[in-house]
Amino acid sequence: MQKKLVSVLALSVAMSAFLAACGSNENNNTASPSPSESASPSPSPSESAPASESTAPEKVENFTVSLRHIQIGDAQKFRKAILDDVVTKTEADVPGLKIELDGVEDSVNRFTKLPAEMAAGNPPKIFDVFGGSGDTQKYAGAGRMLDLTPILDELGLKDKFLSGVLEPFSVDGKVYGLPIGGNTEGIFYNTELFAKYNLNPPTTWDDLIKAADTLKQNGITPFAVGSKGAWVPNMLVNTFIGRIAGEGTNAGFITGASQWNSPDVVAAYQLFADWEKAGYFTKGELGKEYGDMLNDFVAGKAGMMFDGSWRSSAFKNDAVGAEIAGKVAFVNLPAVPNGKGDQSSVNANYGEGYGFSSDLNDNELKAVKAFIKNMYSEEMQLRGLLEDGVLPSMKLTDVSQVTDPIVKQVLDVLNGATASFPHFDSVVQSKVYTETETQLQKLIAGKATAQEVGTAIQKVQDAENAAAAK
Amino acid sequence: MAIPLRRTIPHLFMIAYVIIILVPFIFILFSSFKANNTEIATHPFGLPKSWEFGNYKEAWVKAKINVYFFNSFYLAFTAAATGVLFSAATAFAITRMKFKRTSGWIYQFVLIGMLIPGNVLFIAQYLLVQKLGILDTHWSLFLPYTAGALPFSVLLVSAFMKSIPHELEEAAVVDGMNVFRMFFQIILPLTVPALVTVFIVNFLGNWNEYLLSFFFISKDALRTLPSGMVQFRDAFQTNYALVCTGIVFSVVPVLVMYAFLQRKIIEGLTAGSVKG
Amino acid sequence: MRTTLRNPYVYLLFVVPTIALYFLFFIYPMLTSVFYGFTNWNGLDTKDFIGFDNFVNAFKDEDFRNSIWNNLYILLFSCCVQVPLIIVFSLLISSVKRFQGFYKTTVFMPSILSTSVIGILWGYIYDPDVGLINNILKTFGLDPIYFLADTKWALLSILITNAWQWMGFYIVLILAAILGIPKDIDEAAMIDGATGVQRAWYLTVPLIKPIINVVIMLSIAGALRVVDIVLVMTEGGPAGATDVMASYMVNKAIKYGDYGYGTALSIIIFIFALVLTALYQTLVVRRQEKVEY
Repeated sequence: MQKKLVSVLALSVAMSAFLAACGSNENNNTASPSPSESASPSPSPSESAPASESTAPEKVENFTVSLRHIQIGDAQKFRKAILDDVVTKTEADVPGLKIELDGVEDSVNRFTKLPAEMAAGNPPKIFDVFGGSGDTQKYAGAGRMLDLTPILDELGLKDKFLSGVLEPFSVDGKVYGLPIGGNTEGIFYNTELFAKYNLNPPTTWDDLIKAADTLKQNGITPFAVGSKGAWVPNMLVNTFIGRIAGEGTNAGFITGASQWNSPDVVAAYQLFADWEKAGYFTKGELGKEYGDMLNDFVAGKAGMMFDGSWRSSAFKNDAVGAEIAGKVAFVNLPAVPNGKGDQSSVNANYGEGYGFSSDLNDNELKAVKAFIKNMYSEEMQLRGLLEDGVLPSMKLTDVSQVTDPIVKQVLDVLNGATASFPHFDSVVQSKVYTETETQLQKLIAGKATAQEVGTAIQKVQDAENAAAAK
Repeated sequence: MAIPLRRTIPHLFMIAYVIIILVPFIFILFSSFKANNTEIATHPFGLPKSWEFGNYKEAWVKAKINVYFFNSFYLAFTAAATGVLFSAATAFAITRMKFKRTSGWIYQFVLIGMLIPGNVLFIAQYLLVQKLGILDTHWSLFLPYTAGALPFSVLLVSAFMKSIPHELEEAAVVDGMNVFRMFFQIILPLTVPALVTVFIVNFLGNWNEYLLSFFFISKDALRTLPSGMVQFRDAFQTNYALVCTGIVFSVVPVLVMYAFLQRKIIEGLTAGSVKG
Repeated sequence: MRTTLRNPYVYLLFVVPTIALYFLFFIYPMLTSVFYGFTNWNGLDTKDFIGFDNFVNAFKDEDFRNSIWNNLYILLFSCCVQVPLIIVFSLLISSVKRFQGFYKTTVFMPSILSTSVIGILWGYIYDPDVGLINNILKTFGLDPIYFLADTKWALLSILITNAWQWMGFYIVLILAAILGIPKDIDEAAMIDGATGVQRAWYLTVPLIKPIINVVIMLSIAGALRVVDIVLVMTEGGPAGATDVMASYMVNKAIKYGDYGYGTALSIIIFIFALVLTALYQTLVVRRQEKVEY
């Protein structure tokens, strides 16, 4: 019995020594991959060292750079492939570099991990980040993000970006983040179902309402939606606000030029509530994830869905929505009757991209530069458009290679637009944005009226605006 | 006639209860072998049409369940073992060594910990771990897990050690035994039942812990089973069969362990809760 | 001879690791909680001392008040529905001889599993499209129930899952006490002609009152501790229908970065726990002791 106990103790001492070894290495960013990872039986393929490393003749200092991305799951595989290629290239460009990929779900990264890491001052060296005052501008103001202006000048990239897309990532004329691409949010519809019920494409309000009612009568959900994460239904609310209250409304919330509880914005929420009441959305939507929405649409349980143009890649032949490939079309939300806004405006977002820690040593800076050079190139932008349906954030000389019908329709929508407005999630403070999610779910659950929703959000908006003015 | 009937009534109720416990597991097990969502939806109760072992291979690779499993195991083990060692040493010092007043204070001081519900300290621990620079390392779990178990462990082991007769170590002292040998060779072996209880309670507590492991760790390679499984579900939300496979992977080893150690586990956990 | 057990260095060596860890992860966080609770710290900017504002705001905060009600609902459900069922099932198991071990092992089993895995598992049981329960409803031609998406059902659904996981644990706890009652008392009652139900109610239940009190205390503590299962199954939704104090606190602090407010909420939870435990002790446990004498 004593022997047993002693051996247990010895084992536990050995284990804690092992733990100690892991911990001390993890604290050191420039160390080689930590033992805990080399000990884990199956490192992911992307972590295997690039071939060039072994062929390098001179002895180079090995170092790792952490990279936080959000491309996890099947639906993101095209973007992950592009990222993997950029990582491989970058590792080949910089001797001794190993990029450590860390994939985290989008909202977890945006609302949980990154804020905490920013507070502690130890964000990953390269990370996925959103533009706007709730994200990039807040972190840049606190000195946590690298000023990219000199790097853009050095690489000659500054003028390559589309006009205005760097704005949400800039503070006082300095650029702190680079949008990876853009999107617009509109209606995807199932052309087969529309043909079956003799419906016109939902390009006018009357056709849209007629389609929704007809689908509903035939036991098909008009709009698939997954509202467990309220950012999903918020897409439609955002476009309603732009159309009904005008395309300048979203930008005006933080200046006080527009109010959430103004009659126009409340009317937008009321329209949403009316659709809710009419049964246009998936039943039990508050328990459905974003992925369920696509599933329902692909399975033909729903005839339409309001989603971002990035979803177009799901309907390729080798993607999750392959079942209905070729039977999907994309249109802008039709003109809303009595809307105050420009009715052919589109919502256009260049809100998501990469940012970089301000705390970098020389080696890491080299890695960051190489990453920017490889990621923000015409080649990768074009691949993003062709393979993944992501609209380029940079000027492309040649888009004639676009063959995907949905991507073409998305480009048509953008070309046909006379004005554009941003999503309010890239404009308002994060507390206000989170309040819009909370309140929208209450609206969906029937626990709040449109007026109550507007009042509650405006209360948070007032407090945040007052705090910002201090 | 009346008596056998009356005897079977309790069995009827208990069988109903047992079915309620087991049916979810069976549903998940069958679902994990089914080809796709449609088959689960259309034949929820039947055996799979063809047994899709491919799900198991896919889940093992995609979910990195082996990595989560290993992380959970070694963290739960080291933290529980360290907790046992620390609490046994402290219990020995405050019950057997001759510093009565100080020991009384220490005992009361540790007792305060029993009053604080675990999740109350969550934010402050989060900020602490952040400040220590160990967020997103296994230290951020190992230290709170070990510390979290200490108050209960010290109290339980102390209560047990108090009941050991003092003549034992007096004899040992006469024999010229030093204090370490006395601790390791006389007192510890006698305390083994309490130590095993403490170890089981702490091991299972750490093994199942979700809140800290979800918020303190973001690197996939460092995740433990509870938070890794949630992440896996969120990534493959709509592939029911695959997620069910993940559930089977994470449940089966625990059930196997339970099958072998059920008496010890039941005794340990229930004793743990009553004393606490 | 006495020096062996009086060596202060050894004493320190044995005590300091525990005290240090305990101080760092219990006492220090408790103290900083109190400090942060009175500030408006958001993790990035300066910490300003704002007095009792956080506490006042907490009770004005409709969503937090809603989460307090949810906690109380859970507490009532545990004490008024779960505990009686637990007692009944323990009596049932104790009354049989065959399969007693099997029943005990099976009902206990869910309590050793991870709450997060159980949350995922039951998420599928409740799923409107492929879930077990809705499949059963479908065979009877009934409409599906959106258990976790419907504000009327969500909290109850979580409570059922929670009960499924923990009832067996308490049953085994009480069962041990019942089986610990000396056999001769029961046999004497049987000879006197008391029926099984009578013996259970008049004999067994009074004798196991102390352990029932323990179970109620644990249920109260458990009701305030519920958080994992909420975060895993619904994240507090739909529209706050399942938010409990702890999940609301976690979201406020982590998602909003509102560390000051979040820690103020954690202090409120702590006070709730203390008050409820003290109330139960003085009102119920004390009085019972008086009656016995």
